[in-house]
Amino acid sequence: MSGDENPAAVPKPVEDVQGDARWISQHTRFVQECKDAEPDVLFIGDSMIQLMQQYDIWRELFSPLHALNFGIGGDTTCNVLWRVQNGELENIRPKVVVLWVGTNNHEHTAEQVAGGVMAIAQFLATRLPKAKIIVLGLLPRGERPNPLREKNATVNSLLHSLLLQIPQAQFLDVSAELVHSDGTISIQHMFDFLHLTSSGYRVIAKPLNDLLLQILEETPEERRASLV
Amino acid sequence: MSAEDANPAATPTPCGDIQGDGRWMSMHERFVSDGKGKEPEVVFVGDSLIQLMHQFGIWRQLFSPLHSLNFGIGGDATQHVLWRLYNGELDNISPKVIVLWVGTNNHGHTSEEICGGIMAIVQVIKNKLPQAHTLVLGLLPRGKMPNPLRERNAMVNKLVQEALSSLPYASFLNVDPGFVLSDGSISHQDMYDYLHLTPKGYQAVCEPLHEHIKSLLEKPAEH
Repeated sequence: MSGDENPAAVPKPVEDVQGDARWISQHTRFVQECKDAEPDVLFIGDSMIQLMQQYDIWRELFSPLHALNFGIGGDTTCNVLWRVQNGELENIRPKVVVLWVGTNNHEHTAEQVAGGVMAIAQFLATRLPKAKIIVLGLLPRGERPNPLREKNATVNSLLHSLLLQIPQAQFLDVSAELVHSDGTISIQHMFDFLHLTSSGYRVIAKPLNDLLLQILEETPEERRASLV
Repeated sequence: MSAEDANPAATPTPCGDIQGDGRWMSMHERFVSDGKGKEPEVVFVGDSLIQLMHQFGIWRQLFSPLHSLNFGIGGDATQHVLWRLYNGELDNISPKVIVLWVGTNNHGHTSEEICGGIMAIVQVIKNKLPQAHTLVLGLLPRGKMPNPLRERNAMVNKLVQEALSSLPYASFLNVDPGFVLSDGSISHQDMYDYLHLTPKGYQAVCEPLHEHIKSLLEKPAEH
């Protein structure tokens, strides 16, 4: 099955409709960072990844792991796929890639979104055969139950099984922690019922950090000696 | 037929729920109900630049002590803020100062239209809260390098500053500490995506803003 059949798996840059070329500026900066840095962990995705770097949690938990943050707000699977195919993996050999994308794929069905995430995961697995890949589940969104919650939950359920096909990938879903028994999401966790607050990030960072530490402890150092 | 009808930036317009999770309306309803319970001295209204301010330490450090509420919604353009203020967000409260920061998301509108939108908001605030002072913040430059949106935002600021100069109940404040460097670039240390402020960027904007708001709060009501 070729990527052409799934629009969510077609690599696409973001067009500069607004007029200030911010998307390409961010992409260019990330490509440059690949030339200078030697990250052990690469975070890539949409605003859920990008905003994480602006809170204290990043400095506390993830910077110490030698992490780079290649998140761009608004990105769909198509955009992230284009970025990883166009320079954002050059010259780096991270031990782990954390991938979080899919909630902005408004034009696509849940099945297409899952296929788009899989296309990125498969590309990462091929380009970085020694890296582990952690795919984060899409979080619920909106104050109360709504169709996007159902869509994101369906994406997660599909990814949970599809990712078994990629031995170096793992799926991590922390959604349950964020929805109350009455179905509402707290503004203390998501300031606009989509993006996480500092407290919201603490909820998801704990299981993610635990998993990262576990993986990093398992990965031997001898790769570095073999680099030319 | 008033001039406002011809200006889309000055026509109150709610955000439609295109995505399907009703978030914009949830935020608006929350702001309306916040007004019923609280007695803010300062209300911040605008887009993501206002909204995000609330998420970082700077808010608790500088603005919570002034008894502030934050009515920012990411993506809002002037016509959205106008609708929100017409539809309940200013009811039941009597703050001394309204801080207004909106206009950078008015894509497709001219500088004149955006200025018109901002002035329409200043007018609705005056009508609903005759005792309040509206502090309009200048739009920041955006984009990594010089581009048409920087020019548009600078023109909006010029027009708004002129329009406000004759009004006793509103004023303009330029909060750009000099984000544009000598080579014309903006640093991602100040704006992580060349639009939204980092905590460091907020520190540079909010310290002078805080001083200015305090001086407005100390003044006796003039009208």
